[in-house]
Amino acid sequence: MGINRILNHPVLGPVENKKRITFTFDGQTFEGFEGDTIASALLANGIRTLRVHEETGAPRAIYCNIGHCFECRVTVNEADIVRACMTPIQESMAIESGKVQPAPFNTPPEEWPRTYTEYEERNNNQKDGGTNA
Amino acid sequence: MKETIICRCEEVSLEDIVNTANTHNCSAREIKLRTRAGMGYCGGRTCRPAVNAVLEDLTGEKAGHNVPLKVQPPVRPVTLSVLGGNRNGH
Repeated sequence: MGINRILNHPVLGPVENKKRITFTFDGQTFEGFEGDTIASALLANGIRTLRVHEETGAPRAIYCNIGHCFECRVTVNEADIVRACMTPIQESMAIESGKVQPAPFNTPPEEWPRTYTEYEERNNNQKDGGTNA
Repeated sequence: MKETIICRCEEVSLEDIVNTANTHNCSAREIKLRTRAGMGYCGGRTCRPAVNAVLEDLTGEKAGHNVPLKVQPPVRPVTLSVLGGNRNGH
């Protein structure tokens, strides 16, 4: 049940009789306890990178952990902008990390795609995918 | 030290802000427009005080409210779909 889980806390005592909940993160199956947030369940499983910065690809994780900063936002069951630190895990939840987004205007204007078809071709024909980096 | 990230949403470093402030001799609002610090997902609620503090350090002036389009951070950023009545964000 996770490499980072504290199973016997000196003050709070042992973790007992907690219902186990299975969920997936980027297609990989993990287990957490009932009452875990997405962030705490993943942290217990040794996963610290919840997403990457949309433009630079720099890793992001829990920052404020109180729902203020939106640094831990993930996609849950295809709903965007779900804060991992505020959302309790549920059985069979499908969680996706944040990926790098295409940034077609980061290049000089002369190199910008002139048509949408050209833009799609540069992004390997993925409509909104690809990085164009 | 200069590589410290001030705005995490838009990945703006302390160095970016100091350089922009020195080059353009600008206000906190101009810093926001030039670097995008405070224009990300969190609505500037996390980094705006830091941006103001950096500017105060550099210029010695406190950020005022006399500039048009002053800061009005949201209490809680929500998606348009939530405003439209769908709490799940679909």
